[in-house]
Amino acid sequence: MTKTNMIALGVLVVMGFIPFFADSAWLAVGTTFLVYSVVAFSQDIILGRAGAFHMGHAAFFGLGAYATAILNTQYGWPILATWAPAVIIPMVVALITISPIIHLRGDYLLVATIGLNIIFIQVLENDLFGITGGPNGIFGIDVVRAFGYEFMSQTNMYYMAFILLGITLFIMKTLDSSKFGRAMFYINKDDIAAQSMGINVRYYKLYAFAIGAGLAGAAGSMFAVQYSAVSPEAFNVLQSIMFFTIVLVGGSASLPGVLLGTIVMFVLPEVFREFAEARYLVFGLAMILTMILRPRGIWPVKFGDIPSFLKKGTK
Amino acid sequence: MKPCLLEIKNLSKFFSGLTAIDSLNLKVQKGQIYGIIGPNGAGKTTLFNCITGIYVPEEGEILWNGVDIKGVPPHKIAELGILRTFQTIRLFSEMSVAENIMSGRHIKSKQKWYNGIIPTPGYYKDERYNWEKVGEYMDLFDLSQYAATPAGDLSYGVQRKIEMARALAAEPELLILDEPAAGLNENETKDLADIIRKIQAMGVTVMMIEHDMDMIMSLCEYMTVINFGAWICDGVAADVQDNPAVIEAYIGIEDEDE
Repeated sequence: MTKTNMIALGVLVVMGFIPFFADSAWLAVGTTFLVYSVVAFSQDIILGRAGAFHMGHAAFFGLGAYATAILNTQYGWPILATWAPAVIIPMVVALITISPIIHLRGDYLLVATIGLNIIFIQVLENDLFGITGGPNGIFGIDVVRAFGYEFMSQTNMYYMAFILLGITLFIMKTLDSSKFGRAMFYINKDDIAAQSMGINVRYYKLYAFAIGAGLAGAAGSMFAVQYSAVSPEAFNVLQSIMFFTIVLVGGSASLPGVLLGTIVMFVLPEVFREFAEARYLVFGLAMILTMILRPRGIWPVKFGDIPSFLKKGTK
Repeated sequence: MKPCLLEIKNLSKFFSGLTAIDSLNLKVQKGQIYGIIGPNGAGKTTLFNCITGIYVPEEGEILWNGVDIKGVPPHKIAELGILRTFQTIRLFSEMSVAENIMSGRHIKSKQKWYNGIIPTPGYYKDERYNWEKVGEYMDLFDLSQYAATPAGDLSYGVQRKIEMARALAAEPELLILDEPAAGLNENETKDLADIIRKIQAMGVTVMMIEHDMDMIMSLCEYMTVINFGAWICDGVAADVQDNPAVIEAYIGIEDEDE
């Protein structure tokens, strides 16, 4: 086990015990942190691994949240039953909307995905099909009911989000040590070389988008249940910018980096809430300084995670 | 007649009116080391880019085992068994040597579409098998000591070897080398010639562009000389060396450079 893995495991254990000493306000912040970190990881699959400049991730997060909200409040589905559609709908929408623009590079893709996010917000605010609740959103979303128990306390919410983060980390680890994750890195580092090695660039980029959108949708569903409400402004382009920034500030494709990025970009502003708007000045400056001083992120990714039998005889 | 592995028929490629390749013909037989020579800007790399699907030629045919592969995308070309290296080394420089060579195992990996998120026993077996293969190719190219080193940190000569090991790890039928000796010193060039012979002995057909005349004349069994994208002559080393058209087109221009 590497040093990084030990630290990561330690952090997870500490996070598992937070409900024993945090009050419910802080527990709510903690739950949202867990949900946002799942979204940040899912953004990192697309941005940090496949290298696609995707600036519309809040739309997939929102699709998951609205899938749960609409199915529950309008159609009376129990929350548990909405989990699968909250993952599958963002995946399918990602495949349909991204596949015509997947060949775009860098800044071009960035602009196109911002466009997607704006369209998504317009659809919500104009109450298309009369099911999105317009600018006010949807209220009164149920809690998770299972085994004759209502998971409604803040501690319940925290542990559900914690399990979701655990599943996400497991998926990230699996992805990184599979041909799929590696193919994404190869495309990111040199797409011509990757193609010449037989890697279908389009397929693996769409794969990244599908997995990323599905995870973001799961996080969205959790988010809707935690606040028992959804509204368009939680999923606008500004939120997409935040997820994008979390990945770059923390460290693209670095698991501890993205977690750290979420703390810096989301938890610290909550800690310094008493300084009101002035805190954002500090964060703006912090973002600029990180990019100048640590362009690869606070905790950059380290490659070379190869099986130990190959490391015999290395210098 | 021996089976023809790759046949180029009347191939032409234009870049906005400029003729980069001018109705070129050539035949590569299985097991050969085949040389493409010609002065700078003769269209040699363009030819390789056409064969590997990076460019789509306007006219002619590229027959791979008798089937036209013109317009087939690069990743499918690799699946067919045509792998290449680049004139300007294109490694995944931040990644370790082992990870670079592992990219060659991509098309050989049997992982299912869901193995990116769900591990199965077959997935673990496949990972293990392919990493072992990477180990074999690192041994073959004497790269094992650099397994965990970022490829970009190594010398030019070592990087050339990594690029060849990466292509070979995909178990190609045809290996295309674009100026493999460029930037190498005399000893490294000698090592390279040995490696290319070793590759041939493994049953891989080799097609190469090279400017190092000593190397190409001693290595290649057959060669085609091109200039301004057009065929000048082809033949075995001795024939090509004595051909006045070659001396005029190739050596003549080299003299002007000096």
